[in-house]
Parts: sequence; structure tokens; C-alpha cells
Amino acid sequence: MLLYNLRLAWKSVRRHPVLSTLIVLGIALGVGVSTTFITAYHVLASDPVPGKSGVLHYVRMNSWGLPDSPFRDGPPPQLAYRDVREILKSGVPARSTASFPSRMTVFPPNAKEQPFRESVRLITSDFFPMFNVPFRYGGPWDRSADAKPEAVAVISSALNDRLFGGRNGVGRTFRLDDRDFRVVGVLDRWRPRVRAYDMVVDPLGEPEAVFVPLEWAGPMEVSPTGSQSTWRSPEPGEEDLPFIDRLVLGEVLFIQLWVELPDQARVAAFESYLDSYVAEQKKLGRFPNKPDNRVTPVLDLMTELRVVPPQTKALAAISLLFLVVAALNLIGLFLGKFLARASIVGVRRALGASRWTIFVQHLVECELMGLVGGSLGVLLSLGGLAILNRVYGDGPDGVAFFQLDVPMVFAAIALSLAAGAIAGIYPAWRICAIPPARHLKNQ
Amino acid sequence: MEFGPIFRSLLRNRARVVVIVAEVALTLAIVANCMSLILDTRAQLARESGFDDDHMVLVRSNPFAESLNEEEVLNQLVDSDLRTLRALPGVRAVSNTSLEPWGQGGSITSVRLPGTRGEPLRAQFYSADPSIFDTLGIRVVQGRGFTREELEHGADAGPTETLPVVISKTLADVAFPDGKAVGRELAFADESQRLLVVGLIDRFYKPLGAAADRVMLTPGRTVGFDYGSSYLVRTEGDPGAMIPRMEKALLGAEKGRFLRLRTVPEMREEFHGRDRLLVASLNGVMALLVLVTSLGIVGLTSFSVAERRRQIGTRRALGADKGDIVRHFLLENWMVTSLGVVLGAALAYALNFGMVTWVSGARLSVPVVAVGALGLWLIGIASALGPALRGAQVPPAIATRNV
Repeated sequence: MLLYNLRLAWKSVRRHPVLSTLIVLGIALGVGVSTTFITAYHVLASDPVPGKSGVLHYVRMNSWGLPDSPFRDGPPPQLAYRDVREILKSGVPARSTASFPSRMTVFPPNAKEQPFRESVRLITSDFFPMFNVPFRYGGPWDRSADAKPEAVAVISSALNDRLFGGRNGVGRTFRLDDRDFRVVGVLDRWRPRVRAYDMVVDPLGEPEAVFVPLEWAGPMEVSPTGSQSTWRSPEPGEEDLPFIDRLVLGEVLFIQLWVELPDQARVAAFESYLDSYVAEQKKLGRFPNKPDNRVTPVLDLMTELRVVPPQTKALAAISLLFLVVAALNLIGLFLGKFLARASIVGVRRALGASRWTIFVQHLVECELMGLVGGSLGVLLSLGGLAILNRVYGDGPDGVAFFQLDVPMVFAAIALSLAAGAIAGIYPAWRICAIPPARHLKNQ
Repeated sequence: MEFGPIFRSLLRNRARVVVIVAEVALTLAIVANCMSLILDTRAQLARESGFDDDHMVLVRSNPFAESLNEEEVLNQLVDSDLRTLRALPGVRAVSNTSLEPWGQGGSITSVRLPGTRGEPLRAQFYSADPSIFDTLGIRVVQGRGFTREELEHGADAGPTETLPVVISKTLADVAFPDGKAVGRELAFADESQRLLVVGLIDRFYKPLGAAADRVMLTPGRTVGFDYGSSYLVRTEGDPGAMIPRMEKALLGAEKGRFLRLRTVPEMREEFHGRDRLLVASLNGVMALLVLVTSLGIVGLTSFSVAERRRQIGTRRALGADKGDIVRHFLLENWMVTSLGVVLGAALAYALNFGMVTWVSGARLSVPVVAVGALGLWLIGIASALGPALRGAQVPPAIATRNV
């Protein structure tokens, strides 16, 4: 029966080629436009650390030392080194990592090659398991290497290929600024669309090429390249102190702290630890403002920091409405197409076809058009995404920023079937409701 | 006119009317909101920095050779770089500054009048040498710029000294509403240092936080082994063409560093990239939407004509001329489109309310809705014209057939 209906639909397409093309193009445009912009939204808004986003929490405290803070909506977005060190040492969270970005000079092992600048992130080793970072060779460094700190590094695939000609670089060394680092791990291709670990400074940026222990910040005098804020200028005599002491004394807020808290009890325990930490600091004369500790899970932080650009949301909403208009348009076109052959339907009804048969026949035709138009729409959206990618660019792995994934293709097909059904039900009902006698008369 | 008969015939084809009205209304709602977003974004894109953007190159120099890891050596390198760049033909001015026009980053600080309390003012804060004004192509409109002595002394100035600053007029207007800014003092919000306003510039725009047009420039070098140093170069002609020569000359003077040279127009393009994409996307969606809607109107009017061939024939046979037939369909379409436009205007405001509340964007203005309504109304009538003209070709003889 389905085959028969499909054959009838095909005949109807052949009988009205222009109209059928218009219908298919209408669906294709609607589905193409909405798939493009919903994909853009979906890529940015979906869970950046699947499976972990519920347990990873971002930590903020109100350590601002002046009465009026420039941060209107809450505590400063980043923390001071001294506070981060204490919290990392406390051992209260199951895992924790603090980080900040910088740029350093990489000297290739082959001295003939020119040195170059690379993005570097200073982290602690829990970073890798916390954010599900994939490894091609080796793995994270030991926790013991964090404290000392040891000269160990994890590098990106691309950097490994550049430094060691594509061979496994684990165990080999390269110079970073003024000292040699031993490679302990090489990352697999890794290009999260949203960098969950740094939503404050550049959430859509690429991951860094080099990762080294946080405690090198002092000995190597690493300057943060991300955002930093401070409320305290150095006092006379402080300028000559070692860099790291200035960062500590200067109350520079530049470090981001993440903790892993697997259940509500641990969250509560960590929150009460933070409360007591702030109370203790208040006794020492720090944290003069009203305490405002925030322990925020990944997805809540994404919403709060508006990681998904509002323009992307607006376009996704507008493109859905576009699909609605396209479907409305279809109602009109189907209505015209079906009513034009009312007399044929009259003959079929008179020969014994039930209303239901006629209804199904026309709905099948609508869904066929929906499916063809939807597939064309998916192709169109590939073009649309290619245009978006020209601005958002390719990652270091050569993979375009916005990509159509399998769930989105299914969603697009579902959308086109839905558009076909919504647009088709009323015209199909109208045509099957026509009394056969009226159209037989004039034959 | 035949309003009565047309209205009654519309009532008999309610489905078709509802479809067109809904389509036109939704289209207007979307188009008006797209236009509003486009105008809003384009207003931001059109804002000029006030500098001679089209003739500037930003040079970043990051040393890596250990021999350069010394303050004295780096300072000498800055001086020699400035001389090297100035000596190149086609270079108008060069400045060693931390200001990057159209750069993604920047620095903001809080200041207030010394001794006062309350909300501090947020302003951008950069160090620069005395040639910054020539390089940017702006003038000090009141007071003076910096002197060489102030630049040399800048590095040694202790917190107890007063720092000379040149500020933008917009900042001066807020800080000193009486209009006399030059010679007055400001202080960092933590009272760590006093600032003396020595001059005013009238043009400055660099989008950064809430302080896009408020700036304080202070004399000082932008140099360091970690941070590197940066230079703004103002050229006579096309800045892009100068880049290879600048790079060669600078590397010729010192190889132990990386150079990154970009033209300011290039940086501006990059800065605006996503907003331009938004405007292009909205334009594309709008054009396709209007296309779909007008095709829909063409289609529905065609059916309406096809369905009524016999009535048309009858009317023609009874004496109506072709003009009457065209007028009939145009009037019918005009009534339906107008209803859609009126509903659409209301829907546009409803949609705008939703967007502003849950997504983002600016309030809809009346002219935008009016222009959108007028445009859609004309498109509606134009779309109906073709089918109506074809309807007028129906010969009167058809009325006599098949009856």
C-alpha cells in the first residue's frame, strides 16, 4: 500500500513539475536555514564535558579588598594565587586544578630550527582526568611533580609533530623559555568547541599547545596573558621583590580554580570549608567585603557567563520561525495542488476508495516531499555552515569549528517530516472530505 | 468598488485567507526584528576609532635571546627600533605604546576625584611615548602632550609622585563637569597614586567593557622580556605594503626575537568578524524569507485564479473588462495582505519583547516596523500581479462550456 501511495505521489510530482519543485525548494530552504543556525547553537550550547559537567565546579570568592568592586553581578571571576594554593593544599575536593594561560618561547631540539612562540597553560595534573583530556602517547604527570615542581610537560599533537617529526615525543626534552622540559604526554586531537576549563577569558578559543605544572609560575616568572584584575598597587619597596611574591602580595586575581565534587555531600563539605577559609582570612585582615562564595557547576557557569553568544541564540530562534513560515507556505501550496485534482479524487472515491485511503495517499505525498526537501535542506545547511566556518575558522586538527553531527542530521530529517505532516494534514483532510458527487458532475 | 463581493468570497475560502494572513504576519514579525538587529549591529560596526586606522601597522616584538634579558639592553633596543622604523621611507610616525587599536584586549582601571568616595569611574589606561598623538593622527585639543623628560622619568616614578596623563574628552566631561579638566587631579580608586591631567584628546574609541571612549594615556615605555614591546607605525600609503620592509629592517637590527606585524585595518576586520557574520546571516535569512513568502502568495493567488476560471469567464461574458478582473484579484490580495500586515506589526512587537527578554537585542522602533510593513505590503501586491494578469486572459467563452 505504501508503495502504491509512493507511486501515486511520484505521478503527481511528474504532473506538476514546477509546483513540486517549488514545494521541495520551500522545505529545503526552511530546513537548510534552521539546521544551519540550530547546529551553530547546538555546537556551542551542548555539554562541553559530557559525563563530568555535573561534578565539576568552578570556585569564586569575594576577595576584592576595596569597598566598591567593579564586578557588578557577584564576586570577581578569578582568584588570587595565595588563596588557590591553600585550597589546592587542603585536599577537601576529590580532585582540583588551578590554571592560567601564558605565552612562552619553544626552542626545538634541533638547534638549527627557529624558536617560536606558543600558548602555554599552567595547570595541576588533575586537569587532565577532570576535563576528559584524550592522550595519544603517555599521560599526565604525577601529582608529586606538581608540588616540587618538576620540569615536565604535556604537549599537543600538532606541537609534537612539529618538534619531533611525528614520532612519539614522550621522554624527549625541549626548551621552554629558559629551561628544559621533559615530555610526559602527547594529547590526541582535541578541539572542544567550548573550553570548559576557561569560560572566563576565551571560552571558544583553541586549547593551548603546552601544559606545565602551575608552580613554575614563580621560578620562571610567567606573566599571565589572560585577564587579570587587581585592587592593590605595589607599595614602595615591593617592586624589587621576586615576581611571584609580587603576584601574591599584589592580590592579582588571574587564576581559575576547578574542583571535582562527586555528590551533594561533598559539595556541602567544600562549601563549609570555603566559609571557614574566608572567616579565617577575615581575621588576618583580608576579604573585607561581604563573603560571596560561589561553587558553580559547568552548565550553570555557561549560562551565567553567557558562553553561547546571544546572537547565536537569536539566529536559532529566528531560523525556527523561518521554518514555521515555510510550513505555512506549504499548506497553501499543498492545498492548491490537491484541490486542483479534486475531480480525480472524486473518481477514486466513486470507485470505492475510502476517505482514509485518500487521506493517507495525500499525506504520503506530503511526507515524500518533506523527505526530499529535508535531505536537500541538510545539503544546503552544509553550505551554510561552511560560510560560518570561514569566520570561526578551523581548529589545529584541521577540523572545522561547526560541524553537522549525526543527532543534528536526524533532527533535521525529523523537522522536515514534521513540516511535511503539519503542512499536509489540513490539505489532505480537505481533499478527502470533498463529496465525490460534486466533481463527477462536470466530467 | 467590489469590496462586498470580494469580502464574501474571501469568507468562503477561509483556509487560504488564514494561510496568507499568518504567513504575511509572521514574515513581517521576523523581518522587522531582523532589521532591528541589523541596524543595531551596523551602528556598532560603523563606529570609527577616530584614529588614522587605514595607515597604521602594529608591530609586536617578543625577545627570546638570553642576551636581551636585561632592562638596559631592552630599553636600548626600543630606542634603536624606533630609529630604524622612522628611518624607513613612507613612515610618518612611530610610537612605543601599549595601546592596540582594535585589539581584542586592553586594560581598564578605576579612578575618582582625590578624596571623594562613591562609584569610581572606569577608564582604559595605556602607556605611550610623546609621539603617540602623531601616530594615531589625533590632536591634543587642550593642554599639552608628553615631554621626553616625562617619558624617561616614567619608569622611575614612585607611587608618591603625581603621574601626568592625557585623557579623552568624554572622560573629562564626566569627571570634571565644569569643563576645566587640564591642571586638575584624579586618583586611582585605591588612592595609591595621583594623576595630573595635562591634556585632552577629542577622539578615542576602542570597544572594551563599559569604557569604550574613556581613556587615560600616561608617558611610559612598553617593554619587558616577558611582555615584549610593541610599536604603532603610521605610514604614508598602504600599510600592508610596508610590512615586509619593516620586518626586514627590524630583524636586521636584532635577530633574537619574534616579530608579529599586522595592519590596523586587518585587526579591525578581525574584531568585527562575528558581527559582520551576524549581519550577513540576518540579511540572508530575511531575503530567503521574503522569497518564500512571495512565492507562497504567487502560488495561492494562482490557485485562486485557476479555481475560478469559470466565474471569471462568466464575469467577462457579462461585460467586465480585463481591468476589472485584475482589479478584483489585486483588491482581494490587498485586503488579505493588509490584514496580515496589521497583525504582523502587533506580532513583531510581541516577538521583540520575547527576544529582548530571553535572548538579546534592542527594542523595536516604529520606523523599522513601518518600513517592514510597507515593503511587505508592496511585495504582496507585486506577487499577486502575475497571477491576476493571467486570470484576466481567461476568454469569456469559457463561461459557456461545460455548463
